[in-house]
Amino acid sequence: MPTVTIDDKPCVAELGETILQVARRNGIWIPTLCYHPAVEPYASCRICVVEIDRGGWWQVVTSCNYPIRGDLTVRVESERAVRARRGVMELLLARCPESAELRELAGRMGVEGTPHPHVTEAQRNCILCGLCVQVCEETIGAAAISPAGRGVERSVAAPFRLASEDCIGCGACAAVCPVGTIVVRMHENEVEISPFKSRVKLRRCADCGTPLASELAIKALSARGGPTVTEMLDGEDCCSRCKRRKLAQELTSGHGRSPADLIA
Amino acid sequence: MSTVDTRLESADDLQQYRKQLLAERDETTRRVRVCLGTGCTAKGALGVMESFNRAAEELGDDSVLVESKCTGCHGFCERGPIVVVDPGNIFYQNVKQEDVPDIWRESVIGGRVVERLQYKDEKSGKTAATSDEIPFYSAQHRIVLNHNGVIDPTRIEEYLAVGGYAGLAKTLSSMDPEQVIEEITASGLRGRGGGGFLTGRKWRSARNAPGEPRYVIANGDEGDPGAFMDRSLMEGSPHSVIEGMIIGAYAIGSSQGYIYVRNEYPMAVKHLNIALEAARGMGLLGDDILGSGFSFDIRINRGGGAFVCGESTALMASLEGRVGEPRAKYIHTVESGLNGKPSLLNNVETWANVPQIILNGADWFASLGTERSKGTKVFSLVGKVKNTGLVEVPMGMTLRQIIFDIGGGIRGDKAFKAVQTGGPSGGCIPATFLDEPVDFDRLTELGSMMGSGGMIVMDEDTCMVNVAKYFLGFLKEESCGKCTPCREGVAQMLHILDNITKGKGRQGDIERLEALGTLLEDTALCALGKTAAYPVLSTLRYFREEYETHISQQYCPAKECPGLFKYEINGEACTGCRLCAKKCPVDAISGEKKKPHTIDQEKCTNCGTCFDVCAFSAVTKV
Repeated sequence: MPTVTIDDKPCVAELGETILQVARRNGIWIPTLCYHPAVEPYASCRICVVEIDRGGWWQVVTSCNYPIRGDLTVRVESERAVRARRGVMELLLARCPESAELRELAGRMGVEGTPHPHVTEAQRNCILCGLCVQVCEETIGAAAISPAGRGVERSVAAPFRLASEDCIGCGACAAVCPVGTIVVRMHENEVEISPFKSRVKLRRCADCGTPLASELAIKALSARGGPTVTEMLDGEDCCSRCKRRKLAQELTSGHGRSPADLIA
Repeated sequence: MSTVDTRLESADDLQQYRKQLLAERDETTRRVRVCLGTGCTAKGALGVMESFNRAAEELGDDSVLVESKCTGCHGFCERGPIVVVDPGNIFYQNVKQEDVPDIWRESVIGGRVVERLQYKDEKSGKTAATSDEIPFYSAQHRIVLNHNGVIDPTRIEEYLAVGGYAGLAKTLSSMDPEQVIEEITASGLRGRGGGGFLTGRKWRSARNAPGEPRYVIANGDEGDPGAFMDRSLMEGSPHSVIEGMIIGAYAIGSSQGYIYVRNEYPMAVKHLNIALEAARGMGLLGDDILGSGFSFDIRINRGGGAFVCGESTALMASLEGRVGEPRAKYIHTVESGLNGKPSLLNNVETWANVPQIILNGADWFASLGTERSKGTKVFSLVGKVKNTGLVEVPMGMTLRQIIFDIGGGIRGDKAFKAVQTGGPSGGCIPATFLDEPVDFDRLTELGSMMGSGGMIVMDEDTCMVNVAKYFLGFLKEESCGKCTPCREGVAQMLHILDNITKGKGRQGDIERLEALGTLLEDTALCALGKTAAYPVLSTLRYFREEYETHISQQYCPAKECPGLFKYEINGEACTGCRLCAKKCPVDAISGEKKKPHTIDQEKCTNCGTCFDVCAFSAVTKV
């Protein structure tokens, strides 16, 4: 098995692993933004760059997708690597000066503010990491959104920047967004994924009316062969809170199922 | 359009067919070759062609055989439309439709020359009868462009007659794939698209990479401002690209190829399609090529016009139908390219070199050029040079020879200031290096690069900060926006450059540009981003004082940046005609009729109207 030496610390690695995976397993912190273990590395944000020894010269590479193909020497804390990560963060801070998430990460990296002016506009602090696009395509299989436009005009949107016809309203994009750009809003009968303008029918708890999930997301989950949300809710189509309440009532009322039945 | 319905079953068949073509050729036939490259077409060559066709039709004399044909770009675009009359190889320039009767009567029928349409050398005053006597052509060495301007690109017979597909026949009949790769490796050919990677080594890796199917791709997504080498090749000699690709496919064991052409090149797409169909019809492409048992076919894909799609991984993403954006190349495309399969991508010009190398041998090719850059390179020579056009020269020729001997020097006899090579990611080379040889490594050492062969000449009136700003502006528009450094960094650099050219530069701006340039080089995802700062870094390297003057004195030494210089009226040259005063939009010019005028600098907005309208060159920039 190859040895990856990170800042003088020898680490055992497996072929095909990435530098980031080896570093994380060995407790070495490298900042990331566009990385998520659930999807293929996209390497767009460049905040995870490190230096590697190419035999006579050092190359700056993204640790999230650089594959281990043999013994490798890596520098995370070298002057050049630190300066590169700082430079990338400064550019992101110039783009999204209001982002609390970015500022927090910058603080952890020792970056206090940015020397650059605010010259590019971001939609609600979007850093265009692409995680939402990836999770929608790779994990959910909906491919409702994609990058649109070029360069500083780039943004994430559904085709023609209209409300998506393919969005199932699952909210996975919002869950992986590292800077809180994507928001799931609950309306009376619909769930809205903002800023993608998509609205999908919402199922609420039959008892208390708490939002459960989008109808399409429930359908998509069933189609995958896993337990349906209704099944998980024990056929009662209500939220976990109401379910607990009902169960408690059953148990305390003295008829119906006994605790022993439940364990079995 | 080709109408050949012969299917060639073997290499011998091809040779026989070629002999037959040559035997049928009547050397007494008078031929008119009209350049229908995009440049000449834009200047009215279609009308010229039409007039020649009509004249040929109306000729009632059966005793003379006359043929008019269209050809691809001759290269001397500055003097287009270009017409050549055979026999005699008589070269005519700037031909207009109304010149056709003269050429027809005197030259085609009469066998004489029409002197007024011939090229006259500015320096020697001599008239050139043939293209060989024109310095623009005589200093060139054409390998890949040798059929351009000679054959009709839409007729496969013409390509076959000049020895086309003989390289392929040799490959299939007498070489195994290993030998082909050895030959290409020994030739020293390096990629003509910009990187300059050794072609033979790339082919070797592609052959050794596991996985099926394997693909062969021609990159015809030429996007550098002012560059048109690949376009002219695809338009003027499409079969040489196709032949090269078939040889490459045989070498790596591929059965499917793609040519990725930008959709803005309609003539290239048309000619390639005609060529593919003709090659298929003759058994040179498709199943069982020349009876060898080897099968390979090519599809054309039209690019949507994104500069970044010239980058190999972005090109392949686009071919797959995905968003054309690059990915990391930690695993090379020869191993995992199109559809995750081994893919051999070469530039159009690289492919066009291949048949010549196979046919003439690696030693012949390696005898041209410098120690580490072999063969020739096609450049599109543009900018402030007298003879703009397409030139092919051996590697190692000096910049001075290209710009002054072939290019004829600087327009208006101004002083040479710099030459920009390598496209938007290249750099500007100043006059001190004019005698440097042009090859891959030397250009890189000078802070520029070979790139795909764009060569933009700049004169003393060119502001280098403005040049850097122009290229950064281009790259800001063309960055795909995927990675942070390229998207945000280029925008930040452009912002600083914009301020400097408007007199709002601050101390520290140069250092910030340098820091951002290093950041881009280190952290950007693809070559476009990694080299995006080169126009800035190379102009800083050679013209730093121009940046400093802009910042510290709010003055543009080249007097190009509006507001960073003044307009004044030279009292001795001014005739007092009042024109400038009448045209001035802010009434800043005063003076009596027939007496020298003056500009009120307080009112002047530096719009330049007075400079443009003065017929006596009395308005000067200071």
